[in-house]
Amino acid sequence: MDLFKYRIKTLFKYLDLLKELVSRDLKLKYRRSFLGYVWSVLDPLLTMIVLTVVFTHLLGKKIENYPVYLLSGRMLYDFMKNSTNNAMKSVVGNAALLRKVYVPKYIFTLAKVTSCTVDMVLSLGALLIVMIVTKAQFHLTILLLPLIVLQLYIFCCGLGFLLAQLNVFFRDIQYIYSVILTAWMYFTPIIYQLDDRFPRWYQLLVKSINPMYYYVAQSRDIIYYGNIPGPRVFFGGWIIAFIMLVIGVWAFQRSKDKFILYI
Amino acid sequence: MAKYAIEVENVKIRFNLANEKVDNLKEYAIKLMKHELMFQEFIALQDINLKIKKGESWGFVGVNGSGKSTLLKTISGILKPYEGTVKIHGRIAPLIELGAGIDPDLTARENIYLNGMVLGHSREFMEEHFDEIVEFSNLGKFLDSPVKNFSSGMKARLGFAVATVVNPDILVVDEVLEVGDMRFRRKCNERMQRMLSGGTTLLYVSHNIDSVRNLCQYAVWLDEGKIRMAGPSMEVCDAYAEEQEAEVRKKQEEKRERLRREGRKYDYLVVGAGLYGAVFARELTRRGKRCLVIDKRNHIGGNIYTEDVDGIQVHKYGAHIFHTSDKRIWRYVNRFAEFNHYINSPLAIYKDELYNMPFNMNTFSKLWGLKKPQEVQAKIAEQIADLHIEEPKNLEEQALSLVGRDVYEKLVKGYTEKQWGRDCKDLPAFIIRRLPLRFTYNNNYFNDLYQGIPCGGYTSMMERLLNNIDVMLETDFFEYRKEHSEMFDKVVYTGMIDEYFDYCYGHLEYRSVRFETERVEEANYQGNAVVNYTDREVPYTRVIEHKHFEPEAEQENPKDFSIISREYSMEWKPGIDPYYPVNDEKNNALYEKYRALAEQEENVIFGGRLASYKYYDMDKVIEAAINDAAKELNVWVQ
Repeated sequence: MDLFKYRIKTLFKYLDLLKELVSRDLKLKYRRSFLGYVWSVLDPLLTMIVLTVVFTHLLGKKIENYPVYLLSGRMLYDFMKNSTNNAMKSVVGNAALLRKVYVPKYIFTLAKVTSCTVDMVLSLGALLIVMIVTKAQFHLTILLLPLIVLQLYIFCCGLGFLLAQLNVFFRDIQYIYSVILTAWMYFTPIIYQLDDRFPRWYQLLVKSINPMYYYVAQSRDIIYYGNIPGPRVFFGGWIIAFIMLVIGVWAFQRSKDKFILYI
Repeated sequence: MAKYAIEVENVKIRFNLANEKVDNLKEYAIKLMKHELMFQEFIALQDINLKIKKGESWGFVGVNGSGKSTLLKTISGILKPYEGTVKIHGRIAPLIELGAGIDPDLTARENIYLNGMVLGHSREFMEEHFDEIVEFSNLGKFLDSPVKNFSSGMKARLGFAVATVVNPDILVVDEVLEVGDMRFRRKCNERMQRMLSGGTTLLYVSHNIDSVRNLCQYAVWLDEGKIRMAGPSMEVCDAYAEEQEAEVRKKQEEKRERLRREGRKYDYLVVGAGLYGAVFARELTRRGKRCLVIDKRNHIGGNIYTEDVDGIQVHKYGAHIFHTSDKRIWRYVNRFAEFNHYINSPLAIYKDELYNMPFNMNTFSKLWGLKKPQEVQAKIAEQIADLHIEEPKNLEEQALSLVGRDVYEKLVKGYTEKQWGRDCKDLPAFIIRRLPLRFTYNNNYFNDLYQGIPCGGYTSMMERLLNNIDVMLETDFFEYRKEHSEMFDKVVYTGMIDEYFDYCYGHLEYRSVRFETERVEEANYQGNAVVNYTDREVPYTRVIEHKHFEPEAEQENPKDFSIISREYSMEWKPGIDPYYPVNDEKNNALYEKYRALAEQEENVIFGGRLASYKYYDMDKVIEAAINDAAKELNVWVQ
């Protein structure tokens, strides 16, 4: 219990640092770019347009208001992708600093995931614009979005810790993970609808073992369909998030004292 | 409050690393298959025990890889000990090295905040102290430029200012301050001193031994992960520096030995290991030429050689006092030796009277009992006028017309006659052009800006000059040339110029001196280094008591005996050591003939006292050698 108290105290002490790191990431991301933060909105918007043009023709007119359908899923996937990617490099990337001064190492991982969250919140502007332009219906259920973001935030922290830890010992993980990410995107119903065109086993597989499915499904429910998410995906989402967090924290704690020897 | 700020007990740091860092899967798989993944343990630190009290300053010295930084990291909590414990009482502020904690893309302002928070300060605290930091770092103008455009010194300033904004209990400084400019370093030192007196404990790593000496009370010498020595910083640093030097010397020696074995050819053969030859060889070697210095004698140094006799440096070939007004030369010699502040103020004894030298108010007041300069000037003028000498025909008349009868008879006549071995009446007038008279009470013989004697004697200075240069003693040039003419390209000849040409026009003449050196069982024989005997009845010209050249050595290590040398002037004959060239018309003309021959001689450079047939002060010899070497290498010398 004492240790726990100590940990909380340390976290509290370094909270300002966490904030500073997050604001550094955000400041640096668009420093010296002409449009600055507008890119946070513009980037998903442009990607969405490209994908819409390509896939409306490919998939026919089967999905109603494809842009909103696409964005409501892709937004979360991009957040997961960016945050875990950055988190993976967070410990190694701050090697110079960690070698010189004692700072809790998880602060850097946490900061990366957090700054990506802020970025994602900004990119919600893109969704808003698309919904207005396509005259989509606004559902009250959209107010549940913060809950889903929180689930995903916890999930990404967990995965981020795991990856950051792995990356210290095996730099190959960066390349492996980028392949995994590509596969993961297609394995998640983001650009397509998981309907009966797919074999039954595939549907089951996606729905059971793909964590992203839980978050994307919830987000679709509240934004696109206007439903309260079903208990399976809702509670499943929380449970998976915490399981991931526990795994991540465990892996990170176990080897954090050895980091210094490998970075 | 705990008594100790830092307690390190039996600490061992083990790196469980394979031969190389295995940080990718392929290597891992390969090593696994080859069963090479045997972890080779590397012990970075072992048996480290340190107890550091609050407010102490500790320096850490050792070669690269000896574990200095590892130890500091362990104390800072960055590394966890494999065995043993580290206890810290208080808050540690590491002085973050350049680049670390400083994000190159952020501005200085942003970095100050970030850096402060990395050190665990709150935003509020940083806002409060922001101005103070900016002021100390002196970066006000550049606050909003990205740090990547900063110089390394500016980054160090930023880092130091942030780290020391609050008086930390323990300040860790790891080789950071070497980059700043002088002013900033002084500022840092002042701040560290202030923190030290304020109770901060300082841990300091630097390769600059002197800064450890200055800043730290204690030092730890780490060697291959173990504490080799710990204690007062002066002692530890001295021991460490000594070993470092010995190691360097050994390596150079080995390399020279190897080249010698391989029979590698030399660029220059320097004949004579005296001051001119040594400086010339040093300058050539410094610019990448390979030199061999040979000398007939069994020691280096030529006539400035000093021999250690039971702790007293004996000037074997007469008193040598270094003096110069040339700052460049003074700096040059100080690179090879530390000089004491010996000031030459000889005494003269005439019968049973003792006078100060050179001729100054002390001398005159003893002679005539006069006190005022005007009275003395009048007295001398009167004596000179009484003599009615219009055209001095010999040295006696010359001297009399310069200083008057009393000074001449008591202080000049006998001494000069002993020096030249004949009557002053028989000596040509030109030997003495002027006899400086001083109308102040100043016994300093020389008028030069700088004066002194190398601590530890001239020989150790010569050793340092010849460090890393091959030297062969007891080697005669003419014989060596006969057998090994293929071993060198060019010759620097500092011997007698007439000997080089086999005396083809006859011998150049010299005056020589002879020393009778004696150990006396008295702690203080004559109370001064040099005492001249100016009456002709005493056979020697002067007595040198060598210990007085190094009063500091005597003070540190008093001896109840002394070494004295009686100096006799003598006629020079071929075969004995030549000292002073006799620069009369006949000899100068002869020298000119030899010089014409020397100019014909290809690939031989003539230099120094004997080859130039010229009386040279040491500073002038050095200057000539530096200039000649520069000319030889065609480099510009400032």
